[in-house]
Amino acid sequence: MRKKLSEMSYGEEGIVKSIEGNLRNKVAGMGIRVGKKIKMATKQPIKGPVVVTVDQYSISLGLGIADKIIVEAKE
Amino acid sequence: MKILLMGHPNVGKSAVFNRLTGAKVTESNYPGTTVDYTKGYMRLEGKDVEIIDVPGTFSLEPKDKAEEVAVKMLKENRDSVIICVIDSVKLERGLYLALEIIEEGYPVVIALNMWDVAEDKNIRIDVEKLENILGVPIVPTIAVSGEGIKELVSRIKEASPIDIEKIVEKAGGVEQ
Repeated sequence: MRKKLSEMSYGEEGIVKSIEGNLRNKVAGMGIRVGKKIKMATKQPIKGPVVVTVDQYSISLGLGIADKIIVEAKE
Repeated sequence: MKILLMGHPNVGKSAVFNRLTGAKVTESNYPGTTVDYTKGYMRLEGKDVEIIDVPGTFSLEPKDKAEEVAVKMLKENRDSVIICVIDSVKLERGLYLALEIIEEGYPVVIALNMWDVAEDKNIRIDVEKLENILGVPIVPTIAVSGEGIKELVSRIKEASPIDIEKIVEKAGGVEQ
């Protein structure tokens, strides 16, 4: 199922399918690109950032950024 | 010639820096900002060479003040050799920055730092193969204990500008 990264729930895994326009270069430096396996690690309350695991490290992303990354979630 | 230490935040640039320079360090503010960088000297083949610990940056497209300083320092020091420090656990994103710097035409040496942490996580990196593809010297290091630092220093002289197209070719082309 395709959804926004921000819509993934805790512990859910998926593969990055698309990244909105100019954000692509911005997150590439953080190791996020199309085709990358990603796992939701933590969601902070009150529109706080999300923490995802890529390879074996964690990255925290603002909700605005997580909204612009589309993920194919594992069933 | 100058040596610039570049890499992501928290990959151990300053640990490498302290290993390379010993205690002869001066810290200064980059003019106009509050971003600190550190400057020192190291012995390289009998000469004192200036080495700068550049603020951490994720890429060469700056997103904040510290990254702006990092990119500016790189552009202002056209004649320098870049030691690109990469966290071995976060190899892929580290290579992203390294390739950006290589693409700009700088001679680069890569230090695969925190090698021990990667080993603990069962991450194995084929250094020889990576060297063959990139054409730049790559040295595994553990800066906190000093391992690999001597080799890193001895290989600075091997750094030379590499044509990015050659790397693309050796890596088997670009995925669209």
